Amino acid sequence: MAATAYLTGLGRYLPGEPVSNEEVASRLGGLDRRTERIRARIQKANGIRQRYYAMDTAGQTTELNEELAVHAIRGALDDRGISASDLGMLACATTQGDLLVPGFASMVHGRLGGGPMQVLTAAGVCASSIAALDAAVTKVRLGDHPRAAVVGSELASRWLHQRRFDGVTDHLDAHFLRWMLSDGAGAAVVEFQPRPDRPSLRVDWVRQVSLAHEHEVCMRAGLDGGSAVAGRTWQDFEDVASAERAGLMQIRQETKVLDELAAAGLAQFEQLVDLGLVDLKKLDHVICHYSTNVFRDLVFDALSARIPGLDQSRWFSNLETCGNTGAASIFIALEEAWRTERLAPGETVLLAVPESGRFSFGFAHLTVVEPRRSSR
Amino acid sequence: MSSTETVEGYRPPTPDQTSLLARLADVWTEFESLLEDVPILRSLAAGEVSVADYQCLLHNLRQQVVDGSLWIARAASNFDMDHFELRSAAISHALEEHRDHLLLERDYVAVGGSLEQLRSGRKNIGSQALSGYLFHQASQPNPIGLLGAMFIIEGLGAQKALAWAERFQEVLGLADNQVHFMRYHQEADAEHTGKLDAILTSDAVDGAAADAIVSCARVVARLYVMQLTELDQI
Repeated sequence: MAATAYLTGLGRYLPGEPVSNEEVASRLGGLDRRTERIRARIQKANGIRQRYYAMDTAGQTTELNEELAVHAIRGALDDRGISASDLGMLACATTQGDLLVPGFASMVHGRLGGGPMQVLTAAGVCASSIAALDAAVTKVRLGDHPRAAVVGSELASRWLHQRRFDGVTDHLDAHFLRWMLSDGAGAAVVEFQPRPDRPSLRVDWVRQVSLAHEHEVCMRAGLDGGSAVAGRTWQDFEDVASAERAGLMQIRQETKVLDELAAAGLAQFEQLVDLGLVDLKKLDHVICHYSTNVFRDLVFDALSARIPGLDQSRWFSNLETCGNTGAASIFIALEEAWRTERLAPGETVLLAVPESGRFSFGFAHLTVVEPRRSSR
Repeated sequence: MSSTETVEGYRPPTPDQTSLLARLADVWTEFESLLEDVPILRSLAAGEVSVADYQCLLHNLRQQVVDGSLWIARAASNFDMDHFELRSAAISHALEEHRDHLLLERDYVAVGGSLEQLRSGRKNIGSQALSGYLFHQASQPNPIGLLGAMFIIEGLGAQKALAWAERFQEVLGLADNQVHFMRYHQEADAEHTGKLDAILTSDAVDGAAADAIVSCARVVARLYVMQLTELDQI
């Protein structure tokens, strides 16, 4: 028999003050007219109105990625009223930690403190959040740990600054993510019992699937050309500087396959329905991570045609106010939905995270449950 | 008035002539009815236990479980050559039991307890009485009566522990990994009781030994109930 896993505390951390569209270039640079035109066009399409950067106006990084993660975890622990020493496991998702070596989770644990614990670094892009959640939920369900923390954390800004574009072979697809991505962290506490004082989110299931077997790389950094070849990755160049000059250190997105990603994501959703993992008649909230409002409209229209009663009130995203924080986004959105009491006991929540890296998808199904009342 | 009766009409108990297994079966029935009145077991049956209750039970059991293989080993050392088979059985039994507390400790940690706190715990008043009694018995020459203690303790494991584990799992939604100790005992103790039955029905047990076994079983049953009732009473 397995135990049940519950999300009992949620936290988030968005560094600094919100940065409006007009202020973005003053952080990241790129004030020339061509760059401004690209920025205006991308910002108009993605619908993000403000975001946060762990970067000051001089382009200096103000906090480490691991610091963002720790702030979010502390937020989740405080929300639950426990401390880091109560954790048996820490699962961290990020696209790029502060260091190349060691794993991000080791650095986060070192900064967080607490006692000895299992750590996992789920590398990847947006859906690594769900991979980390899955690992923590599974270990809690097995009874291996009474409590775990999951965090998604990103510090993309330092890869997006103008200095990464000066003197570098120009790739238009690198400009796309530059005006999309920003910094932040979101975290959850996972436990084998619901919290005694307030409602919790029961984790009904977590599912992650990759379709890399039938898709080329879509979002990438460190790759020269369209596919991976021995001797041609960023680590194989004469030196890192020449790899950077060739544009390998930029995060690039093959934008023309994004429609395909949305279609593949919807097909995965249909499969969840086919398998009975999602009951269309009993799906109260959808929290979907997407990079731009273009995909929101596409996905929302498709889902609302399938889900009876799915309207704007059951659909939640804070992309417009919190930005696209990659692996952190889904937890940052869930935290806000939870904190603002959108989710009531008995209701169900579907988390959906499509990842364009090489076509992967993460989903989780949650049910809001009341505290367990003991009659003793 | 017969010679065994006092002027006040009091008649002291006379040795029971019924078979040992039948007498032990009566002890077991009596034990089961005593267990029904143990508050934590009542709550468990009613589905009203919390994780804290489960931790409390493990915490209280652990302090005595670590003593289990010790008193069995001491008993082994007190069997002379005429009781070589019993010595042998006790030595191997002590070996099998002496890591049991590790299962319990793992469960305690798996439901969020602190190993340090568990290990620094003290025996409750029932456990103190039980351990004191068992070590005293084990220190006697040829402590054959302790077969009665094993009958109770192994019987608990074989007949009760799994049901408790399942009920805790059912009520609290625990994983198998959080109830190792109780689950394991169903298997291991069923095997032990099989071996025990073979000894109880062998020539090693004469009339006086049978009386000692039954008496010891009854004391242990009561002290075990006391241990389960007096949770956290130190």
